[in-house]
Amino acid sequence: MVKEGTNRLSPVEEGLFTPPPYTESPPKLLGGYCRKCRQHYFPRPRHCRRCLDPVEGASLGSEGKLYSFTVIRTRPPLGLPQPYGVGYVDLEECGLRIFGLLDPGAVDRLRIGLPVRLAVAPLGHDARGERCLRPYFTPMEAD
Amino acid sequence: MPDVAVIGIGMLPFGRHPERTVVDMGTEATLLALQDAGLPPARVGAGFFANALAGRLFGDMTIGQNVFGEAGINRIPVINVENACTSGSTAFYLAYNAVAAGQVEVALAAGAEKMCVPGFGLINSGENELETKLGLVTPASFALRAMRHMAEFGTTPAQLAAVSVKNRRHARHNPMAQFREPVTVEDVLTAPMIADPLTRLMCCPIADGAAAAILCSTASARRMQRAVQVKAAVLCSGSYENPQDLVRWETDYRVCRLAYEKAGVDPADLDLVECHDAFSIAEILHYEALGLCLPGEGGRLAAEGETALGGRIPVNTSGGLLSRGHPVAATGLAQVCEVITQLRGEAGQRQVAKAKIGLAHCAGGDKDGDTKSSTVLIFAV
Repeated sequence: MVKEGTNRLSPVEEGLFTPPPYTESPPKLLGGYCRKCRQHYFPRPRHCRRCLDPVEGASLGSEGKLYSFTVIRTRPPLGLPQPYGVGYVDLEECGLRIFGLLDPGAVDRLRIGLPVRLAVAPLGHDARGERCLRPYFTPMEAD
Repeated sequence: MPDVAVIGIGMLPFGRHPERTVVDMGTEATLLALQDAGLPPARVGAGFFANALAGRLFGDMTIGQNVFGEAGINRIPVINVENACTSGSTAFYLAYNAVAAGQVEVALAAGAEKMCVPGFGLINSGENELETKLGLVTPASFALRAMRHMAEFGTTPAQLAAVSVKNRRHARHNPMAQFREPVTVEDVLTAPMIADPLTRLMCCPIADGAAAAILCSTASARRMQRAVQVKAAVLCSGSYENPQDLVRWETDYRVCRLAYEKAGVDPADLDLVECHDAFSIAEILHYEALGLCLPGEGGRLAAEGETALGGRIPVNTSGGLLSRGHPVAATGLAQVCEVITQLRGEAGQRQVAKAKIGLAHCAGGDKDGDTKSSTVLIFAV
């Protein structure tokens, strides 16, 4: 669910996900694609690491399955909630396995293989201490 | 190409040294290594100094010249090295290369780190990296491997704890280790949870410390009774391919295989191993990459005592990072000190009987689900 204030905050880093608002369509991850090497990248690099050609922008979709996860229970960095979850997600559309935050409200429901979907919301702060938008994955199944 | 030997080692007990600076600790380790080698400072032809964090914590930079200058080593090439947790073993690798290439007769590798300062917090792989901005801290990167290892191979929390219990038992006889009291499996499992399934006693503590080694050509070392041969010094970075398999860690397997090839030895030839047990799961993964057991069997290997002193292949007889603590840039050289001490037959109550071949394995830094740097050093007498 998109929380209030989402539209006014800056993303933790530009170009990682489609910008809000998400009233028309849900957020999607953005990355890169090299046509020659048929290789996806997240985040989007300037050049393909295999052939060094420029990489075009590509949507990486929003759904995947949890490959592994953990819940960090000690004092969190960057104003993140305590505890908070992180994991590797195997993205459905492109096959990349990417690191990401997991829904802080779902730390008790995490399991390997869990289908998850991208969300974007204010979560923690950036290096300057400003609240910011972060992408995270949330379980697709209801509670 | 000249063969290379280690002729001197020196280290400080790892722990809290609030009154000491990085330079002060690095100098003492260097002087101890010179003394051990019986060499005057003027004999050193090149110096490699490792430090990872003093720039960030204290605003220091280019520290090697300060350290070596204090130890009376000047005029020669001095190179400052930062390579995450392998900073110290990378300095060793460079010193080895300098001697092996015939550039210098004698080279010095030293590493020092000061971490016990207020508010140090959890370590990460660089503040500006996307993974760090998305909440990755180093314990989590290994917790993610542990969760996957448990799911794929049935590894249990008790097996993870067995690594911590074993290493603490080893540390009892190592005056260089910070934590020397034994712990039980129950102690480890009931310690505060850091990142599921890793409790505090499955994560290495921070420390202040320094360690150093002096290398020279085997020809020059011939008359030295306590010289130990370097059979291989290998450094790899990651492949950064996607997807990465978090439990069949390609880079870790690759660096181990290269070192065995270079040294002409098999896992079965090893008498002891020091490996990078920054987290108990890491030691289990390294058993598998090193070929000490089949993939997936590392937890069982630890729990059944095969890697304990007196077992088939003792691992981390020093107590490892889990007991010593992990002053980042000193760790790789502390591992060298332990293997050399064992191969010299000078390890006292933790001595591995008739130890002839030993290996030191180090890894550091996260990038794209892979390591930034991994080193394997193989030694023989």
